[in-house]
Amino acid sequence: MGFRNKEKIPAHRINWKKEATMLPGYIILLVWLGFTAAFLLWILGASLSTTPEIMQGKVFKFETGLHFENYALAWSQQNVARYFANSLLYSVAGCFFTIVISAPASYVLSRYKFICNKIIKSSLIIAMSVPAVMIVLPIYAITASWRNAPDRLIFTVLMIFFRVPYTTVYLLNFFATLSRSYEEAAAIDGCSPAGTFWRIMFPLVQPALVTVTIFNFLGIWNEFFMALIFASSQSVAPVGVGLLQIVNSMRYTGQYGALFAAVIIVFLPTFLLYIFLSEKIIAGVTGGGVKG
Amino acid sequence: MKKDYKMIVLFILPCVITLLVMYAYPVVRTFLMSFFSMPNITAPVGEWEFAGFGKYEKIFTSTTFIRSIQNMLMIWIFGGIITLALALLFAVILTSGIRFKKFFRAAIYMPNVISAVALATMWIQYIFNQQYGMLNSLIKFFNGTPINWLATDMKFWAMLGSFIFGAVGYYMLIFISGIEKIPQDLYEAATIDGASKIQQAFKITFPLLKGVTKTNLTFWTINTATFYLWSKMFSPVDTEASVVVPVMYLYDTAFPSRGSTGADPGAAAAVGIVLALIILAVYLLMNKVIKDDEVEL
Repeated sequence: MGFRNKEKIPAHRINWKKEATMLPGYIILLVWLGFTAAFLLWILGASLSTTPEIMQGKVFKFETGLHFENYALAWSQQNVARYFANSLLYSVAGCFFTIVISAPASYVLSRYKFICNKIIKSSLIIAMSVPAVMIVLPIYAITASWRNAPDRLIFTVLMIFFRVPYTTVYLLNFFATLSRSYEEAAAIDGCSPAGTFWRIMFPLVQPALVTVTIFNFLGIWNEFFMALIFASSQSVAPVGVGLLQIVNSMRYTGQYGALFAAVIIVFLPTFLLYIFLSEKIIAGVTGGGVKG
Repeated sequence: MKKDYKMIVLFILPCVITLLVMYAYPVVRTFLMSFFSMPNITAPVGEWEFAGFGKYEKIFTSTTFIRSIQNMLMIWIFGGIITLALALLFAVILTSGIRFKKFFRAAIYMPNVISAVALATMWIQYIFNQQYGMLNSLIKFFNGTPINWLATDMKFWAMLGSFIFGAVGYYMLIFISGIEKIPQDLYEAATIDGASKIQQAFKITFPLLKGVTKTNLTFWTINTATFYLWSKMFSPVDTEASVVVPVMYLYDTAFPSRGSTGADPGAAAAVGIVLALIILAVYLLMNKVIKDDEVEL
């Protein structure tokens, strides 16, 4: 998050009259922010407290010390380690192969004229707006016939396919703005068109690749509906579905401390990512011209 | 040039295969499924039995489906008004020259980035908790009677409230991008003429935000039509009528919970088609009703 205030001006130059007219604005923002901070801090406090302390509303007193064992309990006994590893696998493999499929396609779509070019581009845009409910039933039927393929592989492939239209469309504009002279120079030096792409053009769009990969990572990490259908068994579930299962088993285990520790573990990776990359993410939401 | 052609085919092929396997074929098959009866999702086409519009009749006479449509409409209308109003309010405040703008903006958008399952769990297990929850602690502090936020009659509103909290940031960003495209000299001229900040908002900002409002309404509609996660989190085991939404009905119809035998993939497909048609209709309507013709920003 933008902790550094770039427009910082020395204190004596603050225009107090101007600031005063904005007081209602500050109050509204601070109430919203205070509420967000309060419940996040409480969850963090609860994740370090015992169940009786939580029940009696004594979360921030820590009378019996900090209970880091909640995290150990959530991580090993409640299977969070497994869910976490699954999510990491889906997200990293998904991001990587999405780029491998999308970047070359986007490159030829934006720089070469050929039959079907326009049709493929419009199909990609339509595919981006097709809701998941329109495709899950037939995909379930297809994947059911590959039952000897590992579930993790099936879900990874689905996540890749699910991100390809958005990624390809996102990269189109970036490839289109590169100068033709790169390709001409490479051709004169005897570089093949495919070599030109991988060695010269691909590295040139690196900033766009980073942005789109952040969105793909968040999208796959937070995917829920498809995960519930295709990766819901305990051994292959990603963090979202896993957390739902932990919540559902709460009525039997009653370990609230561990539940809140699990919430923090699921929440933390994308939250940390956001703290470091919020400017880039926020610019990407509106700047790319397309929705993630 | 021939070499180029080979490369083009090689580069585009995986993408085209994705489109065909993941989108074209499933969409066509879902459409066809909605006109057939079949014992289960994986049944081969040979076992399908033509049902005409029977599946559509079935879902529109199902009380659960009607209830889910009612809930969806309530989310769309009440949730839409509150979310977009809050988003616009934050956008106007943040673009009025306030300090720490980037920090506030990032903080309000934050719930969109973190796992919605984690966020929903925080709301359900803490904020709405009857015993030690935040809201009831506040009520007790002011000597009120605690409310059971997750009781049947309150559950829908609890769900909607927590969903709105997470959704506002995204729409705020779209509004901010719209406001920042409005030329600054309009405001300078208005200030010189003595217009207050609030007058400026109503006379300059809002009228010039038609285009982004259309974008926001379209996204809000898609978001509502495909609403699922929050309903699932608020009725995690058995679907409850108070929070049921069409996607949940679709899921339960296609994959009935253990023990029950009522799988009806055709009806589930019909739900999918109805939702897709709703999205399409709203999209076309938006483009017709709200034209951003007067001012091109």
